[in-house]
Amino acid sequence: MSLDQRLQTTSLTIRADERVVLLGASGAGKTTLIKLCNGSLQPSRGALQWRGQPLKRLPRHERRSIGTFWQDLRLVEELSVVQNINSGALGRHGLIWALRNLLGVLEKDACLAVMQEVHLNPSLLKRAVTELSGGQRQRVALARLLRQSPELVLADEPLSALDPVIARDVLDTLLSLPGCLISLHRPDLIHRFERVLGLRNGALVLDAAPDMISKTQLEWLYGRS
Amino acid sequence: MVVRTFVKPALPLLTLLPGLCLIPVVAILVRDGHGGGLPLLIQFAQGAVQPSFDPTLLKSLWQGLQITGVTAVLSWAISSGLGLIFGFLGSRTLWRTVLGTPWPAVLVRRLLSPFRAIHELIWGLLLLQVYGLNAWVAIAAIVIPYSALMARVLADQIDCHDSPALPVLQGSGGLAMAVLLTAVFPAVFASIKHHIGHRLDCALRSALILGVFGLGGLGTDLMLSLQSLQFRDMWSGLWLLAIAMVLLDFILQTIPRRPRIGFVVGIALVLLVVWSASLNLDLSWPSGSFGSVFSGLVADRNAATAALFEINWGAAIGSTLLITLMASCIATAVPPLLLLLSPSQSSLRLQSLIWAALRLVPTPLTALLLLVMAKPSLPLAALALGLHHSGVMGRVLMKDIRETGFGSAQILERSGATVRMSWLYGPLAEVSRSYLAYASYRCDVILRDTVVVGIVGSAGLGWQLIDALSSFHWWLVAWLVLAFIVLTLCGETITDQLQQRLNCKAVGL
Repeated sequence: MSLDQRLQTTSLTIRADERVVLLGASGAGKTTLIKLCNGSLQPSRGALQWRGQPLKRLPRHERRSIGTFWQDLRLVEELSVVQNINSGALGRHGLIWALRNLLGVLEKDACLAVMQEVHLNPSLLKRAVTELSGGQRQRVALARLLRQSPELVLADEPLSALDPVIARDVLDTLLSLPGCLISLHRPDLIHRFERVLGLRNGALVLDAAPDMISKTQLEWLYGRS
Repeated sequence: MVVRTFVKPALPLLTLLPGLCLIPVVAILVRDGHGGGLPLLIQFAQGAVQPSFDPTLLKSLWQGLQITGVTAVLSWAISSGLGLIFGFLGSRTLWRTVLGTPWPAVLVRRLLSPFRAIHELIWGLLLLQVYGLNAWVAIAAIVIPYSALMARVLADQIDCHDSPALPVLQGSGGLAMAVLLTAVFPAVFASIKHHIGHRLDCALRSALILGVFGLGGLGTDLMLSLQSLQFRDMWSGLWLLAIAMVLLDFILQTIPRRPRIGFVVGIALVLLVVWSASLNLDLSWPSGSFGSVFSGLVADRNAATAALFEINWGAAIGSTLLITLMASCIATAVPPLLLLLSPSQSSLRLQSLIWAALRLVPTPLTALLLLVMAKPSLPLAALALGLHHSGVMGRVLMKDIRETGFGSAQILERSGATVRMSWLYGPLAEVSRSYLAYASYRCDVILRDTVVVGIVGSAGLGWQLIDALSSFHWWLVAWLVLAFIVLTLCGETITDQLQQRLNCKAVGL
C-alpha cells in the first residue's frame, strides 16, 4: 500500500508554539502523519517543510528542534539511564562528547534536572535501562526528550498502556514544552489542547478548537455514526 | 554546571577501546620495518589482478582444492555425527530428565575438554609423527577437536533452552528421551542445524591450514607458491579458494530456505567423496602406533623432569598470552572502527568484501607476507592473527547490523546527531552486547590459534611445540600440550564468566 493510500492530507500547517491533538480510529493514519512529520517516512507526493525549509534537507540545528516521543520508547538498551538521557543532547555536541558520554557520567546536573522534571529517582542515574520498570523506562524516554529541548514534540499514542498517574505526568510534561502534535485515543483529554485534528480513513476531516467540537463529531470520527 | 566523569565505558565504547592496542603494534612494526620488501608486496598486489592461467598449474590447484574439499567434507561429516552424540551425552538437561542428576553430563564435558583444547594443527603434527603422511591423519586432526567443540556447543544449546513444556510432558509419564526430543529438540534444532552448517566452512579453513603445514591439498600449493615468491600462481589458488568459499556460503544460506537444493548439494558432496578415489589422496588406513611415542616417554623417566626445566615457561606462556591479547584487541576493534569510519548502508557491502578477503588468506600466509616488510616479532604475529580473525568478527558485525536494521541511526540523525554519532549510538550500540559476547568466545579461538603463528613470532608455546615435534622431543611435547590444555581451559572459564556478565551467550562459530 502506498503512502498516499494511507494518508491523503492535502495541506496542513502547525505552528511551533501550538498544542495539537490528533484523533482518529486505529488505521486512520495518525502514526503515518507523525512519521511523516519527523522525517522517518517520506511522502510519495507533495512536500514537508519546517520553517520554510524542506524537512528532508534540514540543517543539524534545525533537526534537533523537532523531538519525537516514540510509543515503543526506543531506548538504547545497552546504555545506562544517564547515557540514554544524554543521547538526547547528541544534536548539540560532537563525536568526542559522544565518546565521553559512553565512558561515564557527563553533565550530571543537567541530567538530574530533567530527571527531577519527570519524577525519576536520582539514584537510578547509573542504572542500566534494562533493569527499570515499564513506567521508569517511559520517564527515561521523556527525560531524553527534555534533554533534547525541542521546540515541537511529536508523540504517537504516548499514554497507551500507562496507569492513570503516569499518564497524567507524561501528558503534563509533554504539554509543558513549547509546541506539540500528539496522537491520542482519549477524546476526554482534548480540552487540554488548543487545536484538534481528526483523521478518518487517511483523510483530514476535522480541524478545530476543542470547544467547537461536538460529541457527535467525535463519535463519527471513530466510526460510530 | 558541574561536570563529573566516572570512567565506566559503555558497551558500544568497549567494542572500540581495544583499538588502542593498534598504536603500539603499528609503532613496533614501523620500528622493525624495512623498505626492502616493498617491491615484493607490490608484486603480490599485482598478482591479484594478474593471476596465472597456466593449464598445468590450474590442474594442480584444482586437484589441491579437491583434496582440501574432500578432507573438509569427510572431517565435517564425521565430527558432526560424533558431536551430535556427545552433545546429547554432555547435556545436563538430558541426564536430569533420565536419571534426575546432571553429573554424567559434567563427566562427559570434563572428559571432552582436553580434546577440544588442542588445536587441529597440533593434532595434525602429532598424528603425522606417528602415522606418517596419510589423508586420515588430516581428517582425524580435524575430527578430534571439532567433535569435542561441537559437542560442547550442542550441549550448551540444549541446556540453555528453558522449555516450559518439559515438566508438563514429564508429568504425563513419557519416556525421558521421548520427552526431551519432543520438548527441547525442536526448539534448538534450527540453531544446531545452523551451527553444523557453519562447521563445514570452518573445516575447509582447517584443512587449508593443515595443508600449509605440509598435510597436502591447496594449502600446500599456496605455501609452495609463496615460498618461491610466485605470487601470480598463489593468486590463482586464492581466487579458486574464494570461488569455492563463496559457493559454500551461498549453499549454506540457500539450504535452510530451499531444502531441495540441500538434497542436491548432499548428493553432489557424496559424489565428490566417491570421486576422491581417483585423486592423489591416500585414504588407506594408516599404519603406525602410539607405542613408539609412549616407549620413548617411559624409557627415560628423568627426561620428564629435564624437559620440564628446559624452557623458560614464564616467557613462553607470557608471549603466548601477549599474542592472544593483542590479536584479540585487533580482531575486536578493527570492524567497528571501520564501520564508524564509513558509516553508511552502501559501504557495508564494501566492508563485507574486506572481511571476506581477510578470512580468505590463511593466517600463516598473512604472517609470511607481513614478514616481507618487517622483522619477526610478537606484534607481527599478533597482527597476522588479528587481521584474519577481524575478518570473522567483521562478518559477524555486518550480519548483526543488517539483521538489527538502520532505523535507530535514522531516528538519531533526525534529532540532529551527526551520521557517525548516530551509528555509534544506534546500530553499533544495539549489537554491541552480542558482538562483545562473540568477541570473548573468539579470544578462546585466538588462544588456540597462536600455535599457527608461533613460528613467526619465534616465541610462545606454539613455536616451542613445533620445534619440539621436529626434534622428536616427546617429553617436551607432552608438557607443552599440557600447558596448552590448561591455558585454553582457563581461557574458556574466563570467557564463560565474561559472557555471563554480558548476559549473552555467544553461539560458538
